[in-house]
Amino acid sequence: MPRTRRIVAACFLSVVLWFGVDALLFRTNLYPSILEPDSTAGEYELVLMREREFFKRHSHEKIVTTLGNSQFAYLPRLANELTSQTGYVFRHAGVAGTNPRTWFYMMRDLDPTADRYEALVIGLSSFDDEDGPANPADGWYDLHYAIVRLRLADTLDFARSYEDSHLRWVALRGGIFKGFVLQRDIQEFLSAPAERIRKVRADRRGYEYWTYTFQESERSMSGFQIDWQTGRYTPSPDADQEQKDSVQSVLYRRGFPQSGKLGAFYRVWLGRLLDRYRGSRTKIIFVRLPRGPVPAPDGMIRARSAVVREFAQRPNVMLCPERRFDELERPELFKDAIHLNRAGIARFSPMLAEQIAGMLGGSTGN
Amino acid sequence: MLFHTPQFFLFLIATLALFYVSPKRLGKYVLLAASYFFYATWNYKFLALLIALTAIDYTAGLWLERIPPGRRRKLVLILSLAANLSFLGFFKYFNFLAANLALIAGRSGALRLDVILPLGISFHTFQSMSYVIDVYRGEQQAVRNPLDYALFICFFPQLVAGPIVRARDFFRDLWKWQRPSSGDVLHGLLLLVLGLTKKMAFADQFAAVANGYFANVTGNPGMLTAWSGVIAFGLQIYFDFSGYTDMAIGMAKLLGFHFPINFRRPYLAGTVTEFWRRWHISLSTWLRDYLYIPLGGNRGGRWLTYRNLMITMLLGGLWHGASWNFVVWGGYQGALLSAERALGIRRGYPFTVVTTFALQMIGWVFFRSADMGQSMAVLRQMFAPQLGHNLFTPWQIGLALIALAAAVGEEYLEWFERIARRPALAFASAICGMLFLIEIFGVLDQAIPFIYFQF
Repeated sequence: MPRTRRIVAACFLSVVLWFGVDALLFRTNLYPSILEPDSTAGEYELVLMREREFFKRHSHEKIVTTLGNSQFAYLPRLANELTSQTGYVFRHAGVAGTNPRTWFYMMRDLDPTADRYEALVIGLSSFDDEDGPANPADGWYDLHYAIVRLRLADTLDFARSYEDSHLRWVALRGGIFKGFVLQRDIQEFLSAPAERIRKVRADRRGYEYWTYTFQESERSMSGFQIDWQTGRYTPSPDADQEQKDSVQSVLYRRGFPQSGKLGAFYRVWLGRLLDRYRGSRTKIIFVRLPRGPVPAPDGMIRARSAVVREFAQRPNVMLCPERRFDELERPELFKDAIHLNRAGIARFSPMLAEQIAGMLGGSTGN
Repeated sequence: MLFHTPQFFLFLIATLALFYVSPKRLGKYVLLAASYFFYATWNYKFLALLIALTAIDYTAGLWLERIPPGRRRKLVLILSLAANLSFLGFFKYFNFLAANLALIAGRSGALRLDVILPLGISFHTFQSMSYVIDVYRGEQQAVRNPLDYALFICFFPQLVAGPIVRARDFFRDLWKWQRPSSGDVLHGLLLLVLGLTKKMAFADQFAAVANGYFANVTGNPGMLTAWSGVIAFGLQIYFDFSGYTDMAIGMAKLLGFHFPINFRRPYLAGTVTEFWRRWHISLSTWLRDYLYIPLGGNRGGRWLTYRNLMITMLLGGLWHGASWNFVVWGGYQGALLSAERALGIRRGYPFTVVTTFALQMIGWVFFRSADMGQSMAVLRQMFAPQLGHNLFTPWQIGLALIALAAAVGEEYLEWFERIARRPALAFASAICGMLFLIEIFGVLDQAIPFIYFQF
């Protein structure tokens, strides 16, 4: 028996030491402070850092923060030009490529008391849960976005939220030992450590300014036409390959069998986000974003559920009128098949500010 | 089921658990069942072949012991060896021989069989042959229990890529099995994790560099480029193969078996002769004991010794695979060994270590290249006037330096050997360091097969 005890003790100590080294590097700010700013985790962390610092300096103001992916293309700078009328300061905690699972972890650390903001505005491309080709529960990149935010207690729960068994294993492994997830970032850091540190410093200094003063491309889809029945489209005369690819990608996403996976995913992760704000003064507002230069007609939507419409029954949850931004769905206001261009953003941002302020009881929305 | 996959670790844990909870007399049958299961997960259809080879040599062993010395006894030995070599020849060399015979006959199309190489056939055939030869020589008692013999052939830690274990060593452990000491268990665990680290954090990383280079040799011109691509392969094959055998030896230790060491820091060898005493030791000693010495070894004078070295190394090369590249690689090694003897080269640090390393890297060109044409193209680039660029990233160079420091430390201080006997904190620090290397540098979720699985 003493023999077994020695073996067990040595093995246990090995795992504890390993976990300790990993935790020291990745669960403190030691390594996260030098994450590649252009990586998924790096950008997510930069946004979180920027918003935390903003809140520290402006906690006395009435802040509305928005959450979404790249399709939520508005500029807080333009929305804030109306602050004197609306009374609200707009901020954006969205990150391109993210979804409700990563928003949950973002908001948990950005707003630990769940009462910092006047409202949390969540932008979705549709209020209907129309399934596409991929199962949103199996987005492996979510692990990379949220890796720094994951706590040890989240590990099992986070891993279980994947449906694919391999991804569950990857998430479990990464949730315990974060170096597995960050290994590419670390290897790149080791290739040029001084350069990385310089870049991180520069990005941290300038991130607020760069993102706040960002100017979207003026490229447009003018001339773009699509026949949704046949799936045939006419690109704009000066369309580039990226624009054509974006149309193809939107067309590809249509016509998949409706399994209800998106609805289930929303129910879990938007549900958790909303649960955090249950009883809070913070209002949750869902906004249907401008969908595209020529969106598919309503008759073509084949969703099995509309989870956000159900959520709207909750006391502090509101739905922005679904067609509020339909007037922006014009080719000349889009830079590709899903993203607004500079002109589109210039119109959408103040419209959004007025609408939200109206719903919150500041200025009136239309 | 590759050694570095979660599935294999589940299998290993289950086998260890079953082995240790079973009554002592049943333990070996648990190992036999686990070994056949392990083999069957790769391709159950070849189980019959494995069992047939086992039956042939088991029977041959019993016969050889009963027949008095003479022609009949020799005939049994020859029949057994012929059976083993026929299986090996059919699966491994048929297409190669047919293609070359067609070439000699001037025919355009050769008969080609669409067969896959049974897993580990080169290893278990050699292991089985050594048993029969040992029984013939009277150095080994014939095994009575066929299931004991079956376990000797198919024992899962070394079934696929060795080390080639001698019957006397295996049966000593099997018949006088003792529960491993805590030192053995910890040493076994250390070797298991070391092997995993070598494979995932080192071999698979260097594989990416080597594969990138060899996939496009002409697109990567220059001396530095070629040397870095070839060195990457040299590092890959060492870490890959020695990693596999470390894991095999470690697993065997956990089960109470003691396998011979297979690698002893070969790139620190000061001569080519020394390299072969440090590289794939179980094959080198097999070739020495069952080929080189029976051929006459170094007893027939200088020229016969060179001949014997050349034959041994040519066949050793061919053992690796049915291709002229392997033959040339074997011939190159034979020529180096002969030249070293002829010139009386002795080990002298550090110059001869660097020279031996460089000579081995040149040899790996033949081993890794797709064909002789590519080998020549790489060699031309290695000695081209154009410099080219280094293919390693700084951190990969860092990894190589870590490995070099560990190897030098082990060479002079044998620190790794001692860790298992040190206090738990020292052991845990070593394990932690290796696991952390896997965490940061391990190639995950790709399950790149071990190179020697193809042999």
